[in-house]
Amino acid sequence: MADLSSDPKALSGRTGFSRMNRHDLMTALATRWRMVPVLIALALIWTYFSWANPLFISPRNLSNLSLQIVVTAIVALGLMFVLVVGEIDLSVAASGAVSAAISAGLAVNAGVDIGIAILVGLGVGAGIGALQGVIVTWFRAPAFIVTLGMSLILQGILLDLLPEGTNLISLVGTPLGKVATLYLSPGMGIALLVAMTALYGFLSWQSWRANHQQALGGSLLREVLLPTAAIAIAGAAAVAVFNAYRGVPGLVAFLLVLLAAFSYVTTQTRFGLYLYAVGANAEAARRAGISVPLVRIAAFTLTGLFAALGGMIAAGRVLGVSPDSADTTLLLEAIAAAVIGGVSLFGGRGSVWAALIGALVIGSVSNGMLLINASTQTRLEVQGAILTLAVVLDALLSRRGGAR
Amino acid sequence: MAIHTPPPVLEVRNVSVRFGGVAALTDVSMAVWPGEVVALVGDNGAGKSTLVKTISGIQQPDAGEILVAGRAHAMKGPQDAAAAGIQTVYQDLALCDNLDTVQNLFLGREICLPWWKGRRMDRARMEKRAREVLSDLDVKIRDTRVPSSSLSGGQRQSVAICRSILANPQVVLLDEPTAALGVAQRKQVLALIERLKAQGRAVVIISHDIGDVQQIADRVVVLRLGRKVAEVTRGGYSRDELIAAMTGALDAAELAALRKELAHG
Repeated sequence: MADLSSDPKALSGRTGFSRMNRHDLMTALATRWRMVPVLIALALIWTYFSWANPLFISPRNLSNLSLQIVVTAIVALGLMFVLVVGEIDLSVAASGAVSAAISAGLAVNAGVDIGIAILVGLGVGAGIGALQGVIVTWFRAPAFIVTLGMSLILQGILLDLLPEGTNLISLVGTPLGKVATLYLSPGMGIALLVAMTALYGFLSWQSWRANHQQALGGSLLREVLLPTAAIAIAGAAAVAVFNAYRGVPGLVAFLLVLLAAFSYVTTQTRFGLYLYAVGANAEAARRAGISVPLVRIAAFTLTGLFAALGGMIAAGRVLGVSPDSADTTLLLEAIAAAVIGGVSLFGGRGSVWAALIGALVIGSVSNGMLLINASTQTRLEVQGAILTLAVVLDALLSRRGGAR
Repeated sequence: MAIHTPPPVLEVRNVSVRFGGVAALTDVSMAVWPGEVVALVGDNGAGKSTLVKTISGIQQPDAGEILVAGRAHAMKGPQDAAAAGIQTVYQDLALCDNLDTVQNLFLGREICLPWWKGRRMDRARMEKRAREVLSDLDVKIRDTRVPSSSLSGGQRQSVAICRSILANPQVVLLDEPTAALGVAQRKQVLALIERLKAQGRAVVIISHDIGDVQQIADRVVVLRLGRKVAEVTRGGYSRDELIAAMTGALDAAELAALRKELAHG
């Protein structure tokens, strides 16, 4: 065992792969390297579909694929918050649809300013989430059933909100109906990449410098330069692909900024830490003076907010709100995306990037299956198998990683 | 250790606690001086947990009072006990497995940068302070950035104890700190308790393990059915006498003899 103050290897927080035993490896896979198996799976999926149909990796298809996953990724991002605190929300699709119906109804039928209509819709989504959070924490009712019941209620409310007869609020020609057709100009795409890379580089440099001021050591190359370079290279590749078609899709840019912002919230702020603490050991969190009910309610509120956001974007993409907007496919795909991306159903683990990577896995499979003319039954079987594998991996890592 | 001139840092004076018709504690008194380890022993239901809860502010006494450094404190909750300089480490449920050592040590009292720097947690300062506390108490953690789930039982208990020390308490209450630990890890934790003592803190430890008690405690308070039935000093008792006092096998005369021994000890 190394002395803390003198061994630079212990300080840098890294352990050589060869020195790791099985338990350490499982722990690393459950935490720091959780994304590695998922990224490998994604690479395999992409390789297979590119080989089966080269159209898969065309800039046009990749650009469309990215647009297709935005809604799933945003709803999955929201779900991540309740999953991390060890709860679940089965009402996201329905609450997204109700929020979208309210926004669309206000903007289209009542002539309210679109900005205000969207804010009201987001508020409704957040309110639904908060209400569920209060019910779950106050009455200690299982979230599984509370949110299932809420989902049914919301599906009923959705039918009430939609105009009788047509059962449809059309968004054709409205600003909301154009969100999916916005693309950043090539220059703006590059500017966004530079700005995000610079921000990441600056924040990690700040941490590195603080460590140095406290004489804690740490390698500038490994902690700042290499990760920043990796982000720059991956981002440049993505922007190049997008710019080869129509530019970075506006919704994709929005998703990435959202993920970056909430990555900061979950990893750098006290609130983010409390989400993970409550999810792992609510009693320890309570004894540490954390208001566990407040953290849980906040998680449900964020889930509702992102469900509303996802619901509106979905409505914009299909140009309207209908009873189909509350379709459970979105719910199931969003949960699947979060779990595939490494958010644990047992609580306490998972990053916001899980939403993006998980949605990419699911989106790539559906998109690629269509391109190779696979039957619906094959598609369902493959998607189901991937989800089952992901949840088995989660259970395995939860057990071996020692976290309940 | 017979005559203490300074006031005890913690004094429990004639404390009684009732739960409905059941007397959980009856007229219990004890005192702890700085740099002293006092063990609280007794069979199940003897009132050890109730006494610890009373001292740590979770349970309010029906009669009697708790004095810290000679001053009476009416403690309405654990925060009041913490403010008075009393920290309690419970047997389990102390750490979050998914958080690393530094995050666990500072949970609930993170150091944050000001809002114009984005309210970021100041990881560097916490890390530095964490290493100081760990090295002061000679706790060896290979990597303070791995999740606590990969620490050994002894390391976890040590981290939980260090967590309480961050608040610089005068009195540390440890509830079964060595339960469910292996031999080597138990030694680790006992050594840590010795270092707390060397730092001049008063340590109250609840234990079922007579071997641990004999090794670590300067004094032993024996509770049975809510009453203090004996108080003995290091070397002034045998293992069998202690067990007899705990289980009630010792009759009154023998107890009196034991008490007399204590008074002269």
